[in-house]
Amino acid sequence: MNDTRFVDVAIIGAGPAGVAAGVAARREGAADVVIFERDWEPGGILQQCIHPGFGLHTFGEELTGPEYMHRYLERAREAGVRFDLNTMVFQMDRPVPGDGMKSAGFWTMNPERGVERVEAKAVVLAMGCRERPAGALALAGSRPAGVYTAGTAQRFVNMEGMMPGRRAVIMGTGDIGLIMARRMMLEGAEVTAVFEIMPWVSGLRRNIAQCLDDFGIPYYLNHSVCELHGRDRLEGVSVVEIGEDRRPVPGSEKLIGCDTLLLAVGLIPENELSRMAGIEIEPMTNGPRVNEFMQTSEECVFAAGNVVVVYDLVDFVSMEGERAGAYAARYAAGALSGRKRELRVVPGNNIRVISPQILTGGDDVTIYLRVGVPVEGPCRLYAEPGIFSRNLRYARPGEMNEIKVKAEAISSLPPDVTEITVGVEEL
Amino acid sequence: MRRPVVCGDYDVIVVGAGITGGTIARELSKYTLKAAVMERASDIPFGSSRANSSMIHGGFDDKPGTLKARFCPAGNKMYKVLHEELDFKYRACGSYVCAIGPDEERHLEMLLGYGHKNGVQGLEIISGNALREKEPRTSPEITAALWSPTAAIVNNFEASIAFIDNARQNGVDLFMETEVTGLLFSEDGSHIRGVSTSRGDFTSRVVINAAGVNADLISRMAGDDSFVIQPTRGEYFIFDRNIGGMIDAFFFSCPSDKGKGVTVTHTADDNLLIGPTSVVQTDRENRNTTRPGLEEVFEGAARLVPNIPRNMAITTFSGVRANSVSGDFHIYPLDKPRGFFNAAGIKSPGFTSAPAIASFAVETIKETMPDLVKFEPDPKFVPERRHIPRFADMTMDERKRLAAGDPKWGQIVCRCESVTEAQVVEAIQRGARTVAGVKLWVRPGTGRCQGGFCAPRVVEILARELGVSPLEITRHGGDSRMLTGRTKDPLKAEGRP
Repeated sequence: MNDTRFVDVAIIGAGPAGVAAGVAARREGAADVVIFERDWEPGGILQQCIHPGFGLHTFGEELTGPEYMHRYLERAREAGVRFDLNTMVFQMDRPVPGDGMKSAGFWTMNPERGVERVEAKAVVLAMGCRERPAGALALAGSRPAGVYTAGTAQRFVNMEGMMPGRRAVIMGTGDIGLIMARRMMLEGAEVTAVFEIMPWVSGLRRNIAQCLDDFGIPYYLNHSVCELHGRDRLEGVSVVEIGEDRRPVPGSEKLIGCDTLLLAVGLIPENELSRMAGIEIEPMTNGPRVNEFMQTSEECVFAAGNVVVVYDLVDFVSMEGERAGAYAARYAAGALSGRKRELRVVPGNNIRVISPQILTGGDDVTIYLRVGVPVEGPCRLYAEPGIFSRNLRYARPGEMNEIKVKAEAISSLPPDVTEITVGVEEL
Repeated sequence: MRRPVVCGDYDVIVVGAGITGGTIARELSKYTLKAAVMERASDIPFGSSRANSSMIHGGFDDKPGTLKARFCPAGNKMYKVLHEELDFKYRACGSYVCAIGPDEERHLEMLLGYGHKNGVQGLEIISGNALREKEPRTSPEITAALWSPTAAIVNNFEASIAFIDNARQNGVDLFMETEVTGLLFSEDGSHIRGVSTSRGDFTSRVVINAAGVNADLISRMAGDDSFVIQPTRGEYFIFDRNIGGMIDAFFFSCPSDKGKGVTVTHTADDNLLIGPTSVVQTDRENRNTTRPGLEEVFEGAARLVPNIPRNMAITTFSGVRANSVSGDFHIYPLDKPRGFFNAAGIKSPGFTSAPAIASFAVETIKETMPDLVKFEPDPKFVPERRHIPRFADMTMDERKRLAAGDPKWGQIVCRCESVTEAQVVEAIQRGARTVAGVKLWVRPGTGRCQGGFCAPRVVEILARELGVSPLEITRHGGDSRMLTGRTKDPLKAEGRP
């Protein structure tokens, strides 16, 4: 098509993963690096994360979301990354072989320029994730106003200066829910309680301390909101205790008055575009299956950040974004080599999430893991056969664990090894 | 006490803007007479027309001789033309009634017999294996199925809106949030003179009762208590578009005493829809979902299509059907007071039957009430109407053309359903007033994120277009405000800086 735009490395999403990828791609030598962002400002979800706690790993200090993002945006400006703001990528084509190498095409929309097609030698998917909505929970009761995901409420409060309610109950202990419990409190709203269906907290422990304990907000494990009340605006919720058999305990229902229910019940990588492009999705993560180059099943498409796997800390998102950007730039230059073999990383004991899921021995890599159930005592994190072993003081689903692996450790494995098993076992 | 103020004077007033009221209003708009529709809700569709299986039934289901058996096959044929004329989504998918075992197979034979008597074309009983060849995801337990090629699916939001929208374009007045609270009569009580509403009185020569779940209450106001509406609640699950394609057609279980049983549908918008339950209740407004109800839906659907991934559910909902205790429709004029017409008990297959009911209703009024209303065909009547263009369904060239002419076509508001700002703005210009209203018109919030992304944007656009504060914007009218105040307001109220 004659009106196609060509770029070297195209990045979809200007959140922490995408901006870090852009910086790294430029530093790696890619000439034309463009980040496509649907919002009119870069930063992604960090724009509305005005609380501190970002950047401890990367900058050694506690920054707010916008401050953290600002530092990366400065780097992006210095590196010469271009931004196409207010531009939504709404359709992605299946990559087709070009001059020997595959390239990726997609369609963008911008209010001024309208619909355009872009073709890139390499693409980095960095669309982030979205929140699991109330509808998915099959709640009983009515459908009143006042039921929001925590992130939507955060946008109303922090971006629009609007209060979604006066008296809130929070369902789920995901980090955004905990942050919003405190935020609502600071804005003068009441937060009655936080309920978590599981026997453990799903967010970071520090958020329990700083957002709930410090503000006297109670939280209850093994409890779930089961019914909504109120025809127009929410008037209350029924909460039920969950027994050891993971079923509601009969007769344990309690009615709690509130005008708002905020949900923090899970994040889902946003992979509509990935699916359009025919990219394989890993059921364990709901994100693209990637190797240590953050390369998907389509060799010209890379992915990083929460679109791949939901991280606990933004520092890791940025680090993985940098890796994806650098490899994408190398691919675009026809210089991504080093694949020695293909090994699957598979879950061993007590592992729910792994990224990346494929290792080729092509480069050093950090494997990120989440355990399925908490281990509140000494345990051993391992990668077999004989790749990694380290003792931990504890392992919790809300906090990721890392395994750093050298390329040689993979490439030097006996040829009959096809899988690497990672796990956590109690000591 | 009646307010003396008369808000308007009409030849005909229709009570209720659901599919029945909507189709009747459009039929009336073919004439030069002056007509109005009173709707108590904030959005169209609101009641039974909003929450149903969105099915255009073949017409083999109902006992020959009933009004349902008469109007359903007729309505089915009319939709083939109407969906093009009025531009609402329609998928000619066909339907199967699935039988498991010899008892249910006998039921298929009976339905086939009904179908032949009702004049339904193309019916055929096929074996379970033949079914699975066409629809591989259906249950291996199914032993036979009744295929009805003329059955179809519509987008019931779009269809309900389309009839009213076309009626309005042809001069019918629509009063939203206007609840009919009483009827007006001539002094001797022999004639209808209009309606009292929450807004004031409206006079008219004819009143048509299409009040859905409340139709017996309106009828009683006219002195006719010959039928009783038994509100019947049904619960549904709706699933992500990614799995809509598990099946192609519409699937019925064999009916039991609990109704037609759970159905499984590939909707006009490619979602998978399963439901409903059938629970008789006294409350006409209770549209709650329940844990046992949703379980029943899931188990019932699994009998037809096993292995529906539950984690792909995007929402659940429930609707109340205007089921008459008699089991049939009630469509007739009253002798006294003259000028009153019932179109009541319009339960499944009510959506299918509505256009046929509407033309019958208007023909009957024309014949029986010539002294009350003059039916002069309106030469200016325009039968066609266009829905708001659907960005999601456009070719790339169409998208380019629209986005080049208007920046609002270049701004996507809803990612899941690919809805642009231009569509939202037009929905508001054409009558949407709430977040739900916008959703019914152009779909933001119907996708997998359920409004997580678009809700703040839709609130903002509604506020801007209507020239009000975002604090005034409601989810579905009444007190369903989306927001409760501005930040810092609670602190200021406490005297804190």
